[in-house]
Amino acid sequence: MKLFTKFLLIYLAVNVVVLGIGGIISYHIIKDEIDRELKFEFLDRIDRVTYLLEKGKTFTNFRELDQDENLIIVPLDAFKENDTQVSDTLIWDDRFEREEKNVKVSAYRNISDTTYFISTYGNMIESNDVREAVISILLWILGLQILGAVGIGFVVSGPLFKPFRNTLKRIQNFQINEKEYLKAEPTNVKEFSDLNIFVEEMTKKAVSDFNNLKEFAENASHELQTPVAIAKGKLELLAETNLNEQQFNYVEKLETTLNKLSRLNDSLALLTKIENHEFFTNETVNISKIVKDEIVAFEEFINLNNLKLHTDISDSVMVKIHPSLAEIMWANLFRNAINHNIQNGEINIKLNTDYLEISNTGKELNTKPATLFERFKKGEQSSESIGLGLSIVKRIADQNELQISYTAEKNRHTIRLSLKSVKGV
Amino acid sequence: MKILVIEDNQDLLENILTYLKREGYRCETAPNYEIAFNKIMSFTYDIALIDLMIPGGSGLQVLRELKSVRPQTGTIIISAKNSLDDKITGLELGADDYLTKPFQLAELHARIKAVYRRNNLNGNDIIQVNEIAIHTKKMETKVNETVVDLTPKEFDLLLYFSSNKNHVLSKQTIAEHLWGDYVGHLDNLDFVYQHIKNLRKKLIQAGANDYIESIYSIGYKFNVNRSSA
Repeated sequence: MKLFTKFLLIYLAVNVVVLGIGGIISYHIIKDEIDRELKFEFLDRIDRVTYLLEKGKTFTNFRELDQDENLIIVPLDAFKENDTQVSDTLIWDDRFEREEKNVKVSAYRNISDTTYFISTYGNMIESNDVREAVISILLWILGLQILGAVGIGFVVSGPLFKPFRNTLKRIQNFQINEKEYLKAEPTNVKEFSDLNIFVEEMTKKAVSDFNNLKEFAENASHELQTPVAIAKGKLELLAETNLNEQQFNYVEKLETTLNKLSRLNDSLALLTKIENHEFFTNETVNISKIVKDEIVAFEEFINLNNLKLHTDISDSVMVKIHPSLAEIMWANLFRNAINHNIQNGEINIKLNTDYLEISNTGKELNTKPATLFERFKKGEQSSESIGLGLSIVKRIADQNELQISYTAEKNRHTIRLSLKSVKGV
Repeated sequence: MKILVIEDNQDLLENILTYLKREGYRCETAPNYEIAFNKIMSFTYDIALIDLMIPGGSGLQVLRELKSVRPQTGTIIISAKNSLDDKITGLELGADDYLTKPFQLAELHARIKAVYRRNNLNGNDIIQVNEIAIHTKKMETKVNETVVDLTPKEFDLLLYFSSNKNHVLSKQTIAEHLWGDYVGHLDNLDFVYQHIKNLRKKLIQAGANDYIESIYSIGYKFNVNRSSA
């Protein structure tokens, strides 16, 4: 929900309550005022009747004055003290067919030894009308207030919040690997200015931390490769001396181990780099070409293991991804399919604009396939591989927001990578 | 051949020097930027091996200066950084090759020879190993004027052997040379044996001596002093 919408809703809720209470109060004030006016009017009317009676005017019957139907003048036989009573009474209304609350003023007046009962009643405006008027006024006010609120909202979310929105946009577009901290537009609003200063400081810190981490990862990788290079060189020199078979075997094992160590180091450095978003790109890559090139490069290994390769590859499938990452990802998937295959096995590759799928025959899995995406998880713990291949693939897929799934049915393993292909070449 | 090795790590330097001196190269060393700068300005070398991270400056700077004063010198960058940016910058500055640590000494040697051939002989070099003649440009191999029909991989293998004559080359080394990064994740190195077997057979059929010597079926040696008779 947008801030403005939320503000409007709260504003409206408060207004409805306030106007509701105001309405009830208004209704009562207006009603009371009208009733009081009516009461004075009726008292005045009684005074006039009294005056006329004193002057000797006779009323043939009641309801004579002003042809007012609600005037009752009755001469009484018994004597009653002068008295005036004001009361509310319910009187049947023919028009509305219900009892209406009326103001009634009754009086006893002694004129020329006769006691008259004079009573008049009525209502100027029905309470319904008052209620309707109040409600309609309130609705008008509410309507105008909404208009006002929307107007203010536009001003607020428009020019007033512009610096905030600018900062927000910059944060959204902030790329930590661009090595630049986020510089916000200056503003004279204190809160926004505070926010900008905070964001600037925070991004400065993030960028410097990121660079330190990157530097550390690269330095660690660098520092580790040199000793490995030295050890490998020494082994080569050692191999040239007269070694017996066992010694030579040891040398060879050491060399294999060192290669593995170096590969492990490379893979970890690569993972760090991917996680540090160092492979940001807007390039589009022809996946079809990468897939085909790699197949040619690995042909020998496929033939050596007597594998049957079936391909169904669409031409020119373009995907927005860093070219190095695309190559690394596919090479890892393809190598896995070869390495974890069985003799005389099969590899199926399918590529179209929606997905890239590679399935291969292999040993049955004891673990859940998805766990193999985790670091250092291997189908067989004893295997020579370092167990980072698939986690690199997964990282790359995640980074590029591509869905990846691994399913294993008996001895057929399938990895499917959903592609968001870009049209055109 | 005169080689300048710009490398600050003593152990690594020792490895390189031991290997190269055995091949009869004249090697000079520069452990830091200053000495490296001095040497490239004062003397001419056929090949310079440049480590990117050296005390007192950057290997890339050395490369830039070397290329401006003596562009004919072959240059090979040695770096622990497997970073694409560095590789591209290095090659753009005119480095002839780029080798990532940890490398094989045999591989380094093969690259030195290849760079030397490219720069000094226009790549049109015939390597003569006794009765075997390898035309590097035409990619043709002859044994006593008989053309041997080798696959590109077998040719590469033979060239590698000829670059590292009489050295013991392990299966790992050979695999890494022939397939580079690809081999890294392959468990089984039997394919090396396949290629060696085929190369050996073809050479013998063409009338060459059986120079490829198996060392406990783990490594191989191209022993030019060996005769099949």
